[in-house]
Amino acid sequence: MTNRISFSHGLQALLLAAALLAPLIAGPYWIHVGALAWYYAMLASSWSLLAGYAGQFSFAQVAFAAFGGYASALLRLRLGLPLILAVAAAVIMAMILGALMGALVLRLSGPYLALFTLATAEIFRLILVAEEDVTRGSLGLQVPGLFSGDSDLPYYYLGLSLVVLTLLAMNGLLFTRIGLFLRAIREDESAAQASGVNTTLHKIVVFVVTSGIAALAGAYYGHFVGILTPNMVILPEMGLVIAMAVIGGIESLPGAVVGAVIVYGLSEMLRDYGEWRFVLLGLVLILVQRFAQNGLFPFLERHFDRPMPLPSPTRNALDIEGEHVNLS
Amino acid sequence: MTYFMLLTVNGLVIGLIYALMAAGLTLVFSVLKVVNFGHGSFYMLGGYAAYYAIGLLGVPPLVGVFIAMVALFLFGVAIEWLALQPMYTGKVERKDEYAIIVTFGLTILLTNLALVVFGPFSKSPPAFLQGTFIAGPLILPYDRLIAAAVAVVLLVALAWFLARTSLGQALDAVSQSRESAAVIGINPKRMYTVAFGLGSALAGGAGALIAPIFALSPNMGELPGVQAFIIIVLGGMGSVSGSIIGGILLGVVQGLGVGFLPDPNRALAYTQAFGALLLIFVLLVRPTGLFGRAHTRLE
Amino acid sequence: MSTSPETPYFAMRQLHKHFGGINAVEDLSVELQRGELVGLIGPNGSGKTTTINLVAGALKPDKGSITLDGTNMTGMPAYTFARGGVARTFQVPRLFNRMTVMENLIVPALTDAKTSRKQAERRGHEVLAFLRLEHLARALARTLSGGQQKLLELGRAFMLRPSLLLLDEPFAGVHPKLLEQIIEHIRSLNADGYTIVLVDHNLDAVRSVVRRTLVMARGRKIADGASDEVMQDPAVIRAYTGTRRSARTPSAESLD
Repeated sequence: MTNRISFSHGLQALLLAAALLAPLIAGPYWIHVGALAWYYAMLASSWSLLAGYAGQFSFAQVAFAAFGGYASALLRLRLGLPLILAVAAAVIMAMILGALMGALVLRLSGPYLALFTLATAEIFRLILVAEEDVTRGSLGLQVPGLFSGDSDLPYYYLGLSLVVLTLLAMNGLLFTRIGLFLRAIREDESAAQASGVNTTLHKIVVFVVTSGIAALAGAYYGHFVGILTPNMVILPEMGLVIAMAVIGGIESLPGAVVGAVIVYGLSEMLRDYGEWRFVLLGLVLILVQRFAQNGLFPFLERHFDRPMPLPSPTRNALDIEGEHVNLS
Repeated sequence: MTYFMLLTVNGLVIGLIYALMAAGLTLVFSVLKVVNFGHGSFYMLGGYAAYYAIGLLGVPPLVGVFIAMVALFLFGVAIEWLALQPMYTGKVERKDEYAIIVTFGLTILLTNLALVVFGPFSKSPPAFLQGTFIAGPLILPYDRLIAAAVAVVLLVALAWFLARTSLGQALDAVSQSRESAAVIGINPKRMYTVAFGLGSALAGGAGALIAPIFALSPNMGELPGVQAFIIIVLGGMGSVSGSIIGGILLGVVQGLGVGFLPDPNRALAYTQAFGALLLIFVLLVRPTGLFGRAHTRLE
Repeated sequence: MSTSPETPYFAMRQLHKHFGGINAVEDLSVELQRGELVGLIGPNGSGKTTTINLVAGALKPDKGSITLDGTNMTGMPAYTFARGGVARTFQVPRLFNRMTVMENLIVPALTDAKTSRKQAERRGHEVLAFLRLEHLARALARTLSGGQQKLLELGRAFMLRPSLLLLDEPFAGVHPKLLEQIIEHIRSLNADGYTIVLVDHNLDAVRSVVRRTLVMARGRKIADGASDEVMQDPAVIRAYTGTRRSARTPSAESLD
């Protein structure tokens, strides 16, 4: 892992610079697209942590985002709470729900977990639709904006800073021993348990962190777009997030961010082609899974990574992308 | 009283279609250990296949259903061979994840492909039989009656196939233990292909049967797909009889639910939520569903 | 709690575990004193690995109890067993494949919140030196050879500072020179006071290391005593070589 970090950091710095400077050359349409892409970037990268690192294939990420959006908006509108407090409260509530979810799915694996979280998200969506008095149902909940004026630029930079902050937070977590345990759990949960790792606690911790980030993303989305609808939680939305993370790199947090930007950007660029965009998305998703299971970003990284001066014991005929030599 | 009876009967019809679809999904899961997240889109394709078979070839509607099933069988086989075989030839790490994502990608691809090719507006294939069946207080359009009858026939045929034919028993053997089946000379890979094709055919059949009743649209598979997932968990992932019972139950309960909740918006939302709630409850209590065997990991 | 000769260090009492219709382990009762080195043998399907899984907490028994150093551990999760001093290796090494050898080693050490990363790495280097694998510290675990993986797993178990070490087929698929090395490691660990249970099919290797042998067949314990006596026990011989039609095919091996 160590040989790749310097390359990644350099590339990430470059991408950050590009993101900071992009509005200078992009028109208002693309700045708007960019601001929306940050929403997806936060969801994709946090989902990457949840599914890629901790192995929890949850379909509820968008539900937590919607929760964050609706909760923060309602706390502002109905209870008159100031913005920061409303968002903070929404995030904390989401984290508590995330802990609950994490605890509930402990005994579930693979498709069972996916189905459970899918069902939970669906129920949440239906509640949003049904309880019109509170949420205004399918009509949508209007949310007051954050900045005066018509420009999306402040939202763009707000979104970008949120992406950077959440990435730093998650990376910070990964550098601690918790990150090591998460990777161990992902590699082999039984072996991790046999090594003394409290898998229960750590899986719940990841749920807490990622649902908090999703809620933050949802709050950002609500205040930016100005309207929240239950359509935030439909299955295709979750599918989009999953696609972004998978294509960008399910085990790479910056990869997921790049995946989100690329996928969302492309889907906007190809708007004229209508639904063909999503046909392409489905196809790319399948191909990436088949040929570059760790995502495109790490795939490309591997191919641009030059050999280090010292003979590295990791460089080995067995260490080829896509070919897993199963020694068991 | 008649109102509730009618609700029950209609729920039963829908339930049988659900059961057909769920049986296909559970067959795929029990043999391949994969939840086909694209199952809903196979259902949708079956409906369209029947529609075009009837329209282009001029065959009677029931033959259209049959053609749809054959078409979806072949399609399923092709998909299994292209997209799922790599899991068993060691080309893929993390098989569980692969299966979820690839079948999910498949549903994105197929649903949107249908949107472009068939257009977003709903189509209505011709009815199986015009008119309504009336027997005393019971009023049921012939379409629903026939759809239910065909579903029953197919389910019975499936049960007989699995229990009495050597191919069916081979499928069951592989679902219990891949290694043991291989030891006694069954080729697991071929069984995977058969199971996936059969599961797809059942979904396609369900779609073809429901099309005259509720019309076709590219998104029609989304909700039934979710219902199918719910049913197989309720009925037990891997138990065909369980999914049949589960399907019927869910259909009836959802049908009745509409009658109990006065507010239509709430009624619709919460009857749909009911299935999901049931699924959550069941998974909490029994992580392997009501009738299912323990989920053996793919690795 | 201290253990006296009356209170065994480790005890399993009337353990039962079934899967579906099969009784993998039936009415199993074993007591171990501190510092014992015990072999567990038996034909295929006799329940040895299930027993190891039960002892390590990876499986919960349907009936019976497990006591470690006076504490009732029955039903606790595997990581509680691990933190409590029970370390195990797997039949086929289960390493953290895409993590480095050093990372594999420090994971168990770091589960103790009081251990710093530096301390964990220092101990990791000690273990690597002990196993003569220092040069592989930064290699990814999956690039190691089969024998090296077995050693790494041993090292990882060792990092837990276990008091009870469960080795599931440490000799399987290992070439003779490495076999000697592993036997040497096991002997020196036992000399340092580790209680060790060894499961393997290589009866010669097992016999050369342990003094006490347990034999299982069809989920039950059929012998427990000094290795030489146990190997001569007719019931044990029958378990390994007998078939239902033993009169007709006396040399046929049981496929059980």
